Amino acid sequence: METSSREHGFSGGTPQAPHSTPSREQVVSENFSLLWNKLSEVIRQRVSGDSFERWFSRVSVLAVTPESVTLGVPNPIHQFFIESNYSNLLNSAVEEVCGGPLNLIFDCSGDSHSELKTEKEPTEEFVAPTQVPAARSMNTGTSIPTGMNPSYTFDSFIVGANNQFAHAASQAVAHAPARTYNPLFIYGGPGLGKTHLLQAIGHQILATKKNAKVVYLRSEQFTNEFIDAIQNNALVAFRKRYRQADILMIDDIQFFAGKGATQEEFFHTFGALHDGHKQIVLSSDRPPSEIANLEQRLVSRFEWGMTAEIQPPDMETRIAILQGKASRMHIEIEHWVMEFLADKIRSDIRRLEGALMRVAAYKSLSGQPLNLEALEHLLRDVLQEQARRAVTIDQIQKKVAEHFDIRLADMTSKRRQASIAFPRQIAMYLSREMTPSTLIEIGDAFGGKDHGTVIHACKLVKKRMEEDPKARHLVRLLDQQLQR
Amino acid sequence: MKFTVTKQALLDGLQRIQNIVSNRVTLPVLSNVLLETTETGIQLTATDMEASVRTETPATVERAGSTTIPARRLLSIIRELPAEEIQIETDTRNITSIKSGPSFFKVYGLSKDEYPAFPSLEEKRGFSMKQSELREGLRKTSYAISLDETRYVLNGILFSFRDGRLTLVATDGRRLALCDAELGEIKYPAGHERDFIVPTKAIAELQRLLVDDKEVRLHVGDNLVAFDLGTTVLATKLVDGTYPNYRQVIPGEAKERVTIEREILHHSVRRVSLLSSDKSGSVRLNFTKNNLDITSNTPEVGEAKESLAVAYKGRDLSIAFNPEFLIDPLKNLPDDTIALELIDEMSPGVIKINSAQRFLYVLMPMRVSV
Repeated sequence: METSSREHGFSGGTPQAPHSTPSREQVVSENFSLLWNKLSEVIRQRVSGDSFERWFSRVSVLAVTPESVTLGVPNPIHQFFIESNYSNLLNSAVEEVCGGPLNLIFDCSGDSHSELKTEKEPTEEFVAPTQVPAARSMNTGTSIPTGMNPSYTFDSFIVGANNQFAHAASQAVAHAPARTYNPLFIYGGPGLGKTHLLQAIGHQILATKKNAKVVYLRSEQFTNEFIDAIQNNALVAFRKRYRQADILMIDDIQFFAGKGATQEEFFHTFGALHDGHKQIVLSSDRPPSEIANLEQRLVSRFEWGMTAEIQPPDMETRIAILQGKASRMHIEIEHWVMEFLADKIRSDIRRLEGALMRVAAYKSLSGQPLNLEALEHLLRDVLQEQARRAVTIDQIQKKVAEHFDIRLADMTSKRRQASIAFPRQIAMYLSREMTPSTLIEIGDAFGGKDHGTVIHACKLVKKRMEEDPKARHLVRLLDQQLQR
Repeated sequence: MKFTVTKQALLDGLQRIQNIVSNRVTLPVLSNVLLETTETGIQLTATDMEASVRTETPATVERAGSTTIPARRLLSIIRELPAEEIQIETDTRNITSIKSGPSFFKVYGLSKDEYPAFPSLEEKRGFSMKQSELREGLRKTSYAISLDETRYVLNGILFSFRDGRLTLVATDGRRLALCDAELGEIKYPAGHERDFIVPTKAIAELQRLLVDDKEVRLHVGDNLVAFDLGTTVLATKLVDGTYPNYRQVIPGEAKERVTIEREILHHSVRRVSLLSSDKSGSVRLNFTKNNLDITSNTPEVGEAKESLAVAYKGRDLSIAFNPEFLIDPLKNLPDDTIALELIDEMSPGVIKINSAQRFLYVLMPMRVSV
């Protein structure tokens, strides 16, 4: 009996570098019972007859992938004892027969007389969710880590052009943790669904891999627990908690800004997890490079895997979100009301849903049909808040001038050198996009330019944004800063 | 609420419940103890939502009532009080004053309404047994409980009723301990088979609480069990799941059987294990005619050997075990001698005792080379 039951091949879901030797491929294509016969020949030589009869006679091979072998066992007790006592033996047998180490997966669902009511997924060496019969992955009783909202799933996430990329990246991560994008860094403004995506990844992984250690927390919690651990001299327990996670998700990472010791601790946590091929998912309200007071080594690590942005949803997506929310809450809202809400509240989904709730509450409490006037009255504070965010051409000019470090007077001048003309064009473009002003009004505000000049400026900036990611990033940044 | 109680009585009561109060609680009220007056004294209750303990202690009640007070704080106050008699009074805002000799304490508590209700014992199947019998049974098996949280069905002791008999089983995948316990006057209805798993924490509490020769009454529900010890009741949720088929582990007929003095074997193995390495530590038992050599060696550290005269008549046999796992039953059994049954080098060894009560300890051997 070996005390160290986890050696090679049992390295906690670590993807083994597939040695694609010809013999391996042969084995994979061979039928499973033949493989088991070969394995049992090796095993039989090394255990007593009674032990073989007792533990291995009713085992079968259920599936083989390049990384793993799934063994069907009659009862969980077989899994427990084989894992505890014969895992080294079995690993070396597999290595001998298949030409390289493979992960071992146990499946005891095949037995109709199984004594386990709530079946347990085999432990960490479980790697390929696709191999589990569907009925088993539907198992209930998964405990949701604290702080996670059970309704934040991929199903309830509305995908639009604004978040399609982030959504796709999240799904890729959820289906193959630590294989594709590690770390995954999602950023976007408040109320756009960062937390929803993070938690959806967690739920998805828990649904397919029941014993995965999913740790979800806000960055502030990490800081607080870290401080707590220092005070109580419990750093070991703290590290154990985070460094043994299979998936670590930290929300609102920007609050690490300026917290040196926390950053240092997180740097090591990050390293331990990344080296151990564990998935890390982070979210923030801005891209890593723009988080002030964040150590450079962290910034570069955050940008290491995949950085995905969530932008404010467009009109259609906002309406889809409202419809989804309304049907989940079983309320009926007239279409014009949804359009009104989607039109007036543009940047924040949380606020959008809040307004919808308010409308629904009004309808059910007052029992009166809604008209536009009542609606405007009902939502006056939200609408005012939104209106206050309306920007003026003056503000745009100031912001752009400040950003490019040119004089405000240049915004209205006729100078045409590129270092001045391009900022001016961007300012015109932003004025066109962000204010309700007409082309002529914008032209006037920029020193009596022709409306054709404004059209030309808008076209030019659009084109530059399509071609040059830097320009795109720049305009988006200015846009965000103006809305803030 | 107002009552007078002796320091010793209150201390005894608090000590019976304090282990249940966990340090990390999800609800603030769970770090409190619930105090209620009864006709003859006071009743103390603690719970961690999984297991709950309720106990009574005599007191002179002046005014009936109830409150909840932080348990650890109360215990440390009571422990330090200078006088033998303690007067406790709680006002309507759940502020409790504790008076004893020259000392006066005022402790803020929470209302009883926030405290989780103690599970009801009514309408549950019950049966009884001697407290000492259950304690012995737990002592003989509890060391084999698995601590691996991923194997949660093994994180407890299986209580199995078959044919009017109670069998306790614990295993961690490398060894298995099983023993039968005798039931008392109130029997479990014959013909009803029932298996349930009592979680590790409750087992540890039970081992502390079971003391005398009185009866313990078990009330078994669908997902909880209550152990009624008279003045104290422990109720616990059961481990959700079904115990794996442990009979699979018990080996077939033994080839060799040897009776050994338990204490001598215990101490020999302990001494020899001092030179087995920490990692893959094993001790080897070499049986030859009428002799047992226990050996261990660790490369570059050293080796140990001890010889015992035993009545062994079989063929020469050498088998290696994890010393800790071998010592566990030797340490916890009360009998003077044990019987060790072996098949061959690679089959599990079985420890039995010569007693009317069945006891079985299956220990997987260590294979030194794979």
